[in-house]
Amino acid sequence: MSATATNNERQTEVGNDTRLHKAKRFPIVDTDVHHSFFDKSDLYPYLSDIYRDRWADYGTGVGTSTAHNGGFRGRRADTIDVEQEQPANIGTSAIDVQDTIDRLLDGAGVDVAILTGGPMGGASAMMDIDYASALCTAFNDYSIDTWVAADPRFRLTLAINHQDPEGAAREIDRLGQHPQVVGVMVSCGAPKPFGFRSYHPIYEACVRNGLAFAMHFGAEGSGINPPPTSAGYPSYYIESRQARPTFYMAHLASMIFEGVFEKFPTLKVGMIEGGFAWVPPMLWKMDLDWKGLRYQVPWVKRLPSEYVKEHVRFATQPMEEPDRPEALKHIIDWMSGEQTLMFATDYPHWDWDDPAMTLNGFPDDFRRRVFFDNAVDTFGLNKNGEMDRLLSEVAG
Amino acid sequence: MAEKHQVCFADELQPGSRKVVEIGGRSIGVFNVNNQFYAIRNSCPHRGAPLCRGVVTGLVTSPELYELEMERLGEIVRCPWHGWEFDLTTGRSVFNPHKMRVKSYDVSVEPEPMDLQGDFVLVDGEPDPFIETFDTTVEPSGEQGRKVVFVHV
Repeated sequence: MSATATNNERQTEVGNDTRLHKAKRFPIVDTDVHHSFFDKSDLYPYLSDIYRDRWADYGTGVGTSTAHNGGFRGRRADTIDVEQEQPANIGTSAIDVQDTIDRLLDGAGVDVAILTGGPMGGASAMMDIDYASALCTAFNDYSIDTWVAADPRFRLTLAINHQDPEGAAREIDRLGQHPQVVGVMVSCGAPKPFGFRSYHPIYEACVRNGLAFAMHFGAEGSGINPPPTSAGYPSYYIESRQARPTFYMAHLASMIFEGVFEKFPTLKVGMIEGGFAWVPPMLWKMDLDWKGLRYQVPWVKRLPSEYVKEHVRFATQPMEEPDRPEALKHIIDWMSGEQTLMFATDYPHWDWDDPAMTLNGFPDDFRRRVFFDNAVDTFGLNKNGEMDRLLSEVAG
Repeated sequence: MAEKHQVCFADELQPGSRKVVEIGGRSIGVFNVNNQFYAIRNSCPHRGAPLCRGVVTGLVTSPELYELEMERLGEIVRCPWHGWEFDLTTGRSVFNPHKMRVKSYDVSVEPEPMDLQGDFVLVDGEPDPFIETFDTTVEPSGEQGRKVVFVHV
């Protein structure tokens, strides 16, 4: 069989029209790829005997607050054969490395895939912080051995337990210098917003290791965490989705007004899977409120929007679709999107964005920043010039 | 030329206190800041609030993260609406002094009349809220030992 035939077969099988990304003029960095283990026993080799038994018998013990999702168990139904029996861990995360390479990297034309998975249920929602941190450590070792080692296009954000900032900092120091580790990932569900000073050892460790600090929707309302909306527990998944931006907003305000960016002037923050239409009004509100209330937080020396534009980047997915398409252009303009947005597929979720079908009406230089440059800068992907080489390969 | 208007006896306006007067259709606040007298227009450039009714305070700064320090106590007025802070001694906005400067006047020259909303000066592309400031003088009065505060409008 010829190579062409193989590619065509694969194209049909993975469900992407590869022609759409053949003509791309810049590489594509995907800042949100959900990965997990195929079976919970995959983590056994990385856990102590005691925690291995607990993991085998009880898992995390914290389920999710919303007992349903979209698609097929939260994922694109076209990534599996829905008529077959599924592995236990088929859900919102990719669990098959080769399948992910086929569908996302080769299939959708993603050149760099930043892995954002973590222990199921959210380690930061668990009561026993040592067990939670041990699960993160095991998950990270598993990710490096199984995913990162499988393809040079994978990068990893370290799963850490933000409830255990000292333990998290140790984990960041343990793996932070791995050449394919590019950031740190936490769930948005938390007992306190992320500007709070007890979290600062995490930021010190990120800065020390040149890693971005990224947060992702998750673990709200589960385990020890507060409810998944600030008005309490909703009945349905679709409701909880509407409250998502409020978590990012609370964390963003906290980081700005607790002076995190004054204290850590090189820290980069990624806000992943929160959408972004909420950002411009919040920038306006923070700037206006700062003018009237600055005296209460005088360590905040600059307009809040200036810190955001310098330090914080928003992943594009799930992208809002205003009924008037030009509204999206305004939103992007209002938040300096050419500087603050990073593309994400959110693979393999049911509401993923195909890079070939995303932001197509925008100028090439804008698209290149969003699909490539901004993620490269935020996650420090070009430390050894590898993105320069990739760019010249793709751009020819 | 600015006209000199008598406001009150100087001893009627103790340090930290203020007097709001109506002069030529303008509401103007005269403040005793550590025995120096300053006059500003009683109208906030943000939304037209009676600025001179605001809390007189100092400049809260932060020499180190999470340290609060009060500097220049008595020299800052905080607008009663929305809290914008202005330096009584210069009319400068506190929150963004680099971009938002007071329109400066020669003290001997009558300020140009200005509209509340339509006359902001653009500095570095940012709208420039400013307070109109007025010259003040303290002069001997006919009464033995007493002085009078004048504002020049």
